[in-house]
Amino acid sequence: MKKQEFLNELRRQLRGLPQDEIENRVSFYEEMINDMIDEGKTEDQAIIEIGTVDSVVSEIAKDTPFKTVIKERYRPKRSLTALEIVLLVLGFPLWFPLLVTFFTLCLVGYILEWVLVIVTYAVEAALIAAGVAGIATFFVYLANSNPAIWMLGAALLSLGAAFLFIFVCIGATKLSIRLSKAIATGIKKSFIKNGGRA
Amino acid sequence: MDAQLRRGVLDVCVLAAIKNENSYGYKIIKDLKPVIELSESTLYTILKRLEDSKMLVVKSVEFEGRLRKYYHITPAGLQRLEEFKNEWKEMMSIYAFIVEADLK
Repeated sequence: MKKQEFLNELRRQLRGLPQDEIENRVSFYEEMINDMIDEGKTEDQAIIEIGTVDSVVSEIAKDTPFKTVIKERYRPKRSLTALEIVLLVLGFPLWFPLLVTFFTLCLVGYILEWVLVIVTYAVEAALIAAGVAGIATFFVYLANSNPAIWMLGAALLSLGAAFLFIFVCIGATKLSIRLSKAIATGIKKSFIKNGGRA
Repeated sequence: MDAQLRRGVLDVCVLAAIKNENSYGYKIIKDLKPVIELSESTLYTILKRLEDSKMLVVKSVEFEGRLRKYYHITPAGLQRLEEFKNEWKEMMSIYAFIVEADLK
């Protein structure tokens, strides 16, 4: 890929960002590539070193705040015509519930993800509680030795399971955080790529 | 390296790279390469953050018929470097304590 192709493609894929931000980003990469070429690299080598346009856009998405992306997407590019305003008002009963549904679904997905994490911690807490209660029972019913021993065995089993289950809890939490971040970056990236001019 | 730690250190590395002479994007990446690798987009974000917090200023200079952005450190940037060095003196004594625990 040649320099100009790369820069044009980058500019195209960043169109969901504010105009001055696009210019800053593109001119930054242009200067980088020019400096690499001055150092004796070919255009192709320089671009390989920078990476693919897609990977550059991903990185930019990661450090662009949600606010910027959303603002740019819903900033009207021109003022609305009278007809559009009338349609917007008449269509309110249609688009408003759709919008609410969309955001509710996003929220539900997010809550669901964390509920699964909370469930793992609840299981952990239950295992510990059962273990502690079992041991307490063992001491209370020491006189009646047979069931007490059974109780102690079950309690120790429960505590052992609790110990192992800690790793499940930690794993689930980490996974959930990673997933949230990846989804956020994905959404931002698609907004940046598709731009406010959709 | 831990992401949080890396972030904090990178800012200071970039400041150090422009401390003695004004520098430009590609040169900063090259100068830092032996110490710490950073991508172009990461550098962009750091430069922006440092500019916003007035630790450096940007000046476009004509170079071989095109513009190149040169980054100049400000007194606030120099002060940040000094602060960092002091913070790390503390860090080093903590490190020494940890290593000592290994030897016992």
